[in-house]
Amino acid sequence: MTKNKQTYLTDKKFPFCPGCGHGISINALNKALQELNYGPNDVIVVSDIGCSGLIDPLFATHTIHGLHGRSPALGLGVAMGVAQKPNKKVIAFIGDGGATIGLQHILEAARRNVDMTLIVLNNLLYGMTGGQISGLSTQKFKEIIDFEKDIPPFDLIQLAHASGSRFSVRVNAPNRIKDTLKKAIETEGFSIVEAASLCPSYGMKKMNELMEVVEHEEIFEHDRPATKIKDKPVHSLLEETPVIKPQFKSELKERKGILIAGSAGGGAQSVARFLALAGMHAGLETTMKGEYPITVGTGFSVAEVILDHQPINYTGLEKPDYFIIVTADGLSKVRNKLHNDAQIYIDEKLVDDDLKNQYPNLISVPFSKMANRKSTALAATAYVLNKTGILPVEALKEAVSSHRLKDIFLEVIEKVTQQPV
Amino acid sequence: METLTPKKTLIDGSKLMIEALAQAGVDTFVAYPITPSNWMYKYAKERVPQFYAAPDEITTFQWMSGMSAAGRLPATSSAFPGIALMVESINMAYAMELPMVIIITQRLGPSTGSATTGAQGDLAILNGIISGGYPVPVFSPSGFDDIWSLSEKAVQTAVKFRTPVFLLTSKEMVMHQKSFDLNRLKPIDKVKRPKPKIEGTYLPYKADASLVPPFIPLGDDEHLVRITASTHDEAANIRKNDPEALANTRRLHDKFINRIDELTIYDLERQEGAEKLLITWGITTDAARDALAKLREMGKKIDLLVVKSLLPVSPKIYDILNQYPEIFIAEENLTGQLKEILFGHAPVKNVKQINKMGNMITPDEIIGAIV
Repeated sequence: MTKNKQTYLTDKKFPFCPGCGHGISINALNKALQELNYGPNDVIVVSDIGCSGLIDPLFATHTIHGLHGRSPALGLGVAMGVAQKPNKKVIAFIGDGGATIGLQHILEAARRNVDMTLIVLNNLLYGMTGGQISGLSTQKFKEIIDFEKDIPPFDLIQLAHASGSRFSVRVNAPNRIKDTLKKAIETEGFSIVEAASLCPSYGMKKMNELMEVVEHEEIFEHDRPATKIKDKPVHSLLEETPVIKPQFKSELKERKGILIAGSAGGGAQSVARFLALAGMHAGLETTMKGEYPITVGTGFSVAEVILDHQPINYTGLEKPDYFIIVTADGLSKVRNKLHNDAQIYIDEKLVDDDLKNQYPNLISVPFSKMANRKSTALAATAYVLNKTGILPVEALKEAVSSHRLKDIFLEVIEKVTQQPV
Repeated sequence: METLTPKKTLIDGSKLMIEALAQAGVDTFVAYPITPSNWMYKYAKERVPQFYAAPDEITTFQWMSGMSAAGRLPATSSAFPGIALMVESINMAYAMELPMVIIITQRLGPSTGSATTGAQGDLAILNGIISGGYPVPVFSPSGFDDIWSLSEKAVQTAVKFRTPVFLLTSKEMVMHQKSFDLNRLKPIDKVKRPKPKIEGTYLPYKADASLVPPFIPLGDDEHLVRITASTHDEAANIRKNDPEALANTRRLHDKFINRIDELTIYDLERQEGAEKLLITWGITTDAARDALAKLREMGKKIDLLVVKSLLPVSPKIYDILNQYPEIFIAEENLTGQLKEILFGHAPVKNVKQINKMGNMITPDEIIGAIV
């Protein structure tokens, strides 16, 4: 490889303490880039916070300087952002302190394996804040300072490798950093290089002392193609939104609110949507909203539908005009909303003496005998429409007719509305 | 006026918001799922050309920032617990001056609170979200028409002002379905981002009279780009507190405040002779409109102000407030967050608060407070 004359460094003096090891890795990166012959506009250096975060003015490339511990995530964002431009190379720096904060970001970037290189300058401590230990401080180093010596460091290289990093290396010898970086940068996919670095202010002052306390060198590779980033073809969400044409006449005199109360998996939400669509098929304005526990697969499932000839602003339904209650979960959720001005249609099995005494006009119906568990709410709603004339049953049939289970639904509606009531 | 055959559909606010953002130019969506923003996540996954399932909200925002710096136009949707994790990164993107849109679907707090209960409780945190008290644009839709138009406005503002922009909505606004005439949706212009013409060296934070520096993305083949979140000068050199750097930091404030008219959006429904003003925002607007109609039927004279650009507060809003001897503010939170922003924490004699938490304020509750 012929070395180009380009330097990727500005003429700014390195801001590090005398004897600091960080300059070694920066010079090594400059040489590696020279040998790889990148244009300065093809390189984006991402820096972190801490002593390793002082580097961005040093590079005569694109640079971005963010938050402590976040350069692997910010760098991955940049890498994904430039991925569709040819030949761009994202190189992120982080210290061992930043790597401790951003461990998740490193593992995630390794797992994603988008083309980028992360350089971890590990001087075993936080140099900018007084030499405190990091998650990468080794036990041998912590024995010297006599603090948390029983707690091992993270093995960042093994962690990155286990997460899917394509090329993961810990390099201790300064004279091997350049070639290691070169290989990392040439690797298409995620690569991580952890380089040992001196901190003469708070840590090891001499290279031979540092070599005594660092973790051993490691090198791991995965034969795994880099993840490609590209835009997927998209189309408007409104294209798939069906336009409803009014085809039926509603006998509705004034705004009505209907509350359907069932259990998870019982179709209350779908039925409420059918009811709202049926209202639109009958030329009405409507709103529909559901309520269910966070754990969507269990407990109550309640849905409210409002129908009106006029546009509806406020969507709350404090006092429903109709209750359609098909399960015990549903009843217990809406029981405190029941009132005697409403028409309460309730499955016969749920009616107890208390309920009958409190709401003497409630209408007990054998809903659960009309259809299986999944279709009870639909059967009940069809029954109520047929009985009350809120909407024509035909509008409900129209509403279910575009559903993939329409045959089953239509059969349920037919069965309920044809039997004598 | 041309009458179109109605194109009525049953639709939810989440779908309208994602569609509008995508049409306006959002090409990247990064999110971590959280109720009540999950429908947006689902729609964005389908609609936006690049979608990323981030492992947490800090990563979400860092990826967005990196992609924005590289020239993409990202958005995310979250709720308070996720926003809380993003705060440091939001400050970073703000200082870097990166365009992006953040949707907050408000739910009942504090903390995890109740994920499926709506609220209007996150305005106060947005008022102070940038360290130092710098303003960040916050738009809040009052209904489906606004969801469409303010989503477009948010994207335009993000690009025009080089900034993160918030869309502040709530569970009830984006998780209910409504019959809606699609003909009401005005065509959206995709935001234009022509490459600025720069003579000589590009100084990424050197602005002209617009106070917004021209944006060139990282990786540009012609100009080297430097971006930084730390206090910096025009060239993105990190500085402590020298005058040039402080001037740049001050510009982050001035670019919004000096051009506040471009960020001001409200509806004022006036009635001849009204001396009472009802103010509201977001989800409470539906109830306020119903209340207004009934009050007027009852012969009461009252005007309605719906504030849609909540932050920074426009002087035009104060001009309106000053015209009324009696003011009511309705919002679904305990303390009156817009009231506190407009009038401070101390009780104000002619300002009556209508507050509630855990349920939407009803039209009758507004009427009861006014009559």
